[in-house]
Amino acid sequence: MNGWMNKIVKVNLSSGKQTTINISEDVRRKFIGGRGLGLKLFTDMCSANVDPLEKENALIFSTGPLTGIIQTAGRYQVTTRSPLTGTIVDSSSGGFFGANLKKAGFDGLVIIGKSVKPVYLEITEDGININNAEHIWGKDTHETMKILKSELTPNISVACIGPAGENLVPFASIMNDKDRASGRGGVGAVMGSKNLKAITAFGKKEIPVSDPEGLKKMISTINTLIDKNPVTGKSLQLLGTSSLVNVINAHGMYPTKNFQRGVFNDAEGTSGEKIAETILQGRSACFKCPIACGRKTKTSKREGEGPEYETLWAFGAQLGINDLETITEANYTCNELGLDTITSGSTIGCAMELYEKGAFPEKLKWGDSSIIVKLVEDIAYKRGIGKDLALGSKKLAEKYGRPEFAMQVKGLEIPAYDPRGAQGQALSYATSNRGGCHMQAYLISPEILGSPVFLDRNSIEGKAEIVALFQDISAAVDSLVLCRFLQFAISIDTFKDMLNIVTGMNYTEDELLKVGTRIYNLERKYNSEAGFTRKDDMLPARFLEEELSEGASRYRVVHLDEMLDRYYKLRGWDENGIPSEEIKKELGI
Amino acid sequence: MKNFDISKLAKMIDHTELKSSSGEKKIKNLCNEAKEYGFISVCVNPGNVEFAKKQLEGSDVIVCSVVGFPLGINTTEIKALEAKKAVEQGAEEIDMVINVGAMRDGKHDYIKEEIKQVVQASVPAHVKVILETCYLTDEEIVKACKLAVEAGAHFVKTSTGFGAFGSFEHHVKLMRETVGPDIGVKASGGVSNFKDAMRMVNAGATRLGTSAGIVIMEGAKLFKFAPDAWIEPEIPCHTCPARSASMAKLPKALYQYYTNMCLKCNHREKYNKFYE
Repeated sequence: MNGWMNKIVKVNLSSGKQTTINISEDVRRKFIGGRGLGLKLFTDMCSANVDPLEKENALIFSTGPLTGIIQTAGRYQVTTRSPLTGTIVDSSSGGFFGANLKKAGFDGLVIIGKSVKPVYLEITEDGININNAEHIWGKDTHETMKILKSELTPNISVACIGPAGENLVPFASIMNDKDRASGRGGVGAVMGSKNLKAITAFGKKEIPVSDPEGLKKMISTINTLIDKNPVTGKSLQLLGTSSLVNVINAHGMYPTKNFQRGVFNDAEGTSGEKIAETILQGRSACFKCPIACGRKTKTSKREGEGPEYETLWAFGAQLGINDLETITEANYTCNELGLDTITSGSTIGCAMELYEKGAFPEKLKWGDSSIIVKLVEDIAYKRGIGKDLALGSKKLAEKYGRPEFAMQVKGLEIPAYDPRGAQGQALSYATSNRGGCHMQAYLISPEILGSPVFLDRNSIEGKAEIVALFQDISAAVDSLVLCRFLQFAISIDTFKDMLNIVTGMNYTEDELLKVGTRIYNLERKYNSEAGFTRKDDMLPARFLEEELSEGASRYRVVHLDEMLDRYYKLRGWDENGIPSEEIKKELGI
Repeated sequence: MKNFDISKLAKMIDHTELKSSSGEKKIKNLCNEAKEYGFISVCVNPGNVEFAKKQLEGSDVIVCSVVGFPLGINTTEIKALEAKKAVEQGAEEIDMVINVGAMRDGKHDYIKEEIKQVVQASVPAHVKVILETCYLTDEEIVKACKLAVEAGAHFVKTSTGFGAFGSFEHHVKLMRETVGPDIGVKASGGVSNFKDAMRMVNAGATRLGTSAGIVIMEGAKLFKFAPDAWIEPEIPCHTCPARSASMAKLPKALYQYYTNMCLKCNHREKYNKFYE
């Protein structure tokens, strides 16, 4: 089948047994690959009662039909049940690992069971070897990648966990190709729970394409669209994701000191412009990507990559810190130890507010940059105060009796856009199937960046429709598997063309969008079976009751209930946010 | 607006590249894009007409050239000669800038005569008259539209894109009401996405001048999904020229004009955004 290697292997780490999973044409058509296919495989295999850190939980790595072929398609998706939130989680990462996995001959991997001893999977065109990883257990991610490359071949892509994953920190990430991360939701802890340290992949197999001539033209069209769009053609190239710091701050929605304020007076000092002036060494790009948003940077101590916008915020404004060197070091440390930067920073911010309000015993003061890197290390190793911080903000705040200070949805920390400044983004956070996440529907795009058009960020009118549309498009794009930044420049119609050129499958744009709708509903169905309802589609009370006091979003709160009612109705879900029988039947889930 | 046929949008777009820094590579790309997306024309500076015409051979995309651009302050003879030359080199549409200062001085006969001479020099090409609406009051816009029609122009056009601000619905509507249904109205300057485009079309524009044609077309493909949501009514101040008026960019008298417009506006009490 064009676009596919037609091979997905299930590896049982308890027994070492490998079996091939056959995907029917019907499933392929309805779920495509990546997030959709991972979800389908996961929900067929795991009930809503599965313990995220037990051997029964499946950890699925999946690629899509465009992987290894088109710009940005070096990515892969990880699907599992999150140890942080208890929801199903899909976590995506860039780089080259996805392309190498596929060119080795695999569309995906399903990992179940638990190895007695630490192991890593070596994936080549010849198959999968389960190798001893005792010598790299305990090593950080960079060291792990270095050792495996020296032992195998320098060309391999390595996806691995660091000490945080080994220690089952529920927001541990999987790192690949040095500094690319499947960051959110604790997929690294699930990998650690299986005693799986790393997966290496390398291959050069040709991926069959239905229309090679059409593909050449399409690649050129994609480049034109990327170039013409002001976000992908200019901002992301010149300043990376950190171009957003000054923009979001100017809109008065740059969360400061655990979302107590929307304006950070020192934002300029931690902005993309400042990075370009000071620590920037160059740009880096994922597979065939002309955008190259990655930033190669250097501190006084070492070189690395990043920080990205969310990380600049998480270790900057969120903690009242204006020291770019500290933020960058914290970012490097998270990458090395395998931690999600957003949850790490936001949880420290939560602890700082707990301390400020007299509810936390340890002295954690806003703006104290001297303690941050040490705190990150303590989280990864669960030592001292880090043991508490490694709970994530929700459980930490609950433990200390002030749950209202956790800025999270469903247990996942909200990233760097105060929802009071953008009503659509607020609804997107609340209804995200994996919790407080900006990626499942990035309403900042129309509400702040004017892409594809400007929508009034303070209005709730029409936001339910746009949020649902963006959620479905994003789910479809995640199934192809492509970088979300393409969504700034490329419409679903063009995504459909890409898919058809590669697979020859003649999707219509409506059908592709329906794939996204199906994915979103199936995720929702799984979560509802796990006990998630309307009460979980809720933002922290701060956003609903406390007005921002300054800046361009002052006097604003989120009007969630009205949008939520409209959104559920539109989705065909009941008043508790659970998909109706009719919609499940219509979508075949 | 909801009923607007998106498929007709491409044939309303003058795919534009008028920056002084744009060389042949950019113009070549512009022409290729216009062919690929089916835009009605490429709009280029006179020095690029011949080159653009060559690139577009065998296609139905026409070349549009600008005259007296962007200030409009050249003499009538030079404008007419510039237009003639551009037509000889293959331009089928001419976008001329009026002498804005003369218009504000009330030299209506001069304006009419100048347009007439450019129209005559441009035959058989069509002429669009750029009013540079940001520098004119509503009364002056109405008068300039009438002069353009009387002088035989085929279109009136809002802006060069180099002025204090670009096109607004308010001005497009006024121009359409003035020229009636038989003369074209081109909205240009600040038309950067499909919502802007549709807003202008809804106000009466039959042609759009923009360098964001591709972004508009790609974005427009999303319109069919959730059409109501995309065009939710906006705060009127967001699409009002008075909101864009700035002391630094406008002559004092015009800044005062827009300030007064805002002060007298019915929306002021509810939104009160301009001088907040």
